[in-house]
Amino acid sequence: MLTDAEIEVVRLSAMVAAWSVAVSILPGILLGWLLARWNSPTRGVLQGAVMLPLVMPPVVTGYLLLWLLGRSGPLGQAWEAVSGGRIAYTTGACVIAAAVVGFPLMVEGIRIAVLGVDPKLEMVSRSLGRGRLSTFLRVTLPLALPGVIGGAVLSFARALGEFGATIVLAGNVEGETRTIPIAVYTLMNTTDGEAGVLRLVAVSVAMSLAALLAAGWLARRQRRRAGR
Amino acid sequence: MSIEARIRHAFRGFTLDLKFESEGPVLGVFGASGSGKTTLLNCVAGLIKPRDARITTNTRVVCNRPGGNWTPPERRKLAIVTQDPLLFPHLSTRANLTYAPGAKDALESESGWKIVDVLRLKPLLERNPATLSGGEKQRVALGRALLSKPEMLLLDEPTSALDAELAREVLALLLEVKRALKVPMLFVTHKAGELMALADDCVVLSEGKLVAQGPPVEVLSKPRAIGVASLVGVDNLLRLQVVRHDEEGGVTLLDLGGQELAAPLSEAEPGKHVSVGIYADEIMLCLEKPAGLSARNALPCRVLSSDAVDHEVLVKLRVGATDMLARITPAAASELQLEPDKHAVAVIKTASCHLLG
Repeated sequence: MLTDAEIEVVRLSAMVAAWSVAVSILPGILLGWLLARWNSPTRGVLQGAVMLPLVMPPVVTGYLLLWLLGRSGPLGQAWEAVSGGRIAYTTGACVIAAAVVGFPLMVEGIRIAVLGVDPKLEMVSRSLGRGRLSTFLRVTLPLALPGVIGGAVLSFARALGEFGATIVLAGNVEGETRTIPIAVYTLMNTTDGEAGVLRLVAVSVAMSLAALLAAGWLARRQRRRAGR
Repeated sequence: MSIEARIRHAFRGFTLDLKFESEGPVLGVFGASGSGKTTLLNCVAGLIKPRDARITTNTRVVCNRPGGNWTPPERRKLAIVTQDPLLFPHLSTRANLTYAPGAKDALESESGWKIVDVLRLKPLLERNPATLSGGEKQRVALGRALLSKPEMLLLDEPTSALDAELAREVLALLLEVKRALKVPMLFVTHKAGELMALADDCVVLSEGKLVAQGPPVEVLSKPRAIGVASLVGVDNLLRLQVVRHDEEGGVTLLDLGGQELAAPLSEAEPGKHVSVGIYADEIMLCLEKPAGLSARNALPCRVLSSDAVDHEVLVKLRVGATDMLARITPAAASELQLEPDKHAVAVIKTASCHLLG
């Protein structure tokens, strides 16, 4: 079975991934909707910016984040002035790194789901007296929900596996920033770490699989409820 | 209901450029596909923001551009029903009906029951919209629109996705909505029969321009003049008064002004007017009244004119006080020697008199 330290690693990983989805789901929905429905030349630029973390090496993303959020970075300094604490090398940094890297997957899932909603349904809703926001909450979002769930799960799974940006921005602090991939890497460089590596790998595979199955189930259930 | 519109809107190489005003209460918008009917409706609904337009519904200026105000669709109180019922697939039938703000209370009110009653929605309430038939879905879509208490119903070819029988059923419902609920409508259609049956006033569009306006009977009685003949399809559109029904004989007799036309049994009460369409090529001409005829109509008539057009001859006739158009071959025309003022007999089968509501 897992040792206490390994349980802590798994718990931290799950928590970081869950938080990264939690903080990015609302902006993800907003951007996904914007990219699907907003007709403007600026849209292409925005889409490119959102997709950037997907194509950039995660270590580079981590480096840029560190430049922004580190002790001497503009946002890092601002945060320190407000709260007296730091961002880099904390669990919060893990969440930020995971959220940024998983964000494009979430936005893309939501964008495609919103594109799949017939705009005429939204027009009918408007003509029946429901404003833009109300129409979004009553029609667009419920119909796009399977895609939103899919996007969230993908970004959750991506967060579980996040290594490059995390190690740069959050480092390798036991109990605080040592998530499964970082623990596996650490154990691989430790003598007699082999057994621990195997156990964490097994847990990692199981968690990813469970996330995928859950996403499929939720999406199917939602589609059934939608009568399609 | 009143509507006043002046619209100039160019979009993807198509320009809608027109101006009209109408007191309705049911205004038909008639034209071929691509004539700009739906664009006009979307401008009125607020689903399109025209560059240069002033639209007033019931003295409320909903669009005055450029420069002036523009009311978003949700505050125009104009509910849309399109050819696709567009029910919300994630909601139950009941939730679809009560979708609009205030529609829940409306459904429980007396006027709401009346809507449910007219559209026969009661048996559909607890069913999943996915299991409803095309006609049932359209009834729910109409109910959903009416329960939003619109000042005007905007109908965009509401019957054209349905087969002929269902289309008639939905048209009958719309007539009932007009009669019993007195809801004003802007009604886009390319079917002359529907226009005749439902609209009080109509505008005819062609290539984004207004080519005619007036009561449907008037506008459609000269389809060639306004270039919508192929649309109208039937060359003779008549608005005739019911004289009496002969239920045993299976015919309804209509007044042609001095003569009677035997049409298929209609439900309209005597004294009421019905619309009848007769294709010009379904009128047979004889010089003498034939004997032993199965066709119920052998109507003495007078030739007004006879014009050769391509490989056919169009003969204009006066039957009683009504004018009709018959289409015959040049061979027949030369054999019958149909000159103006010549007397002839028009033979029309009952089944060729198409009741349009």
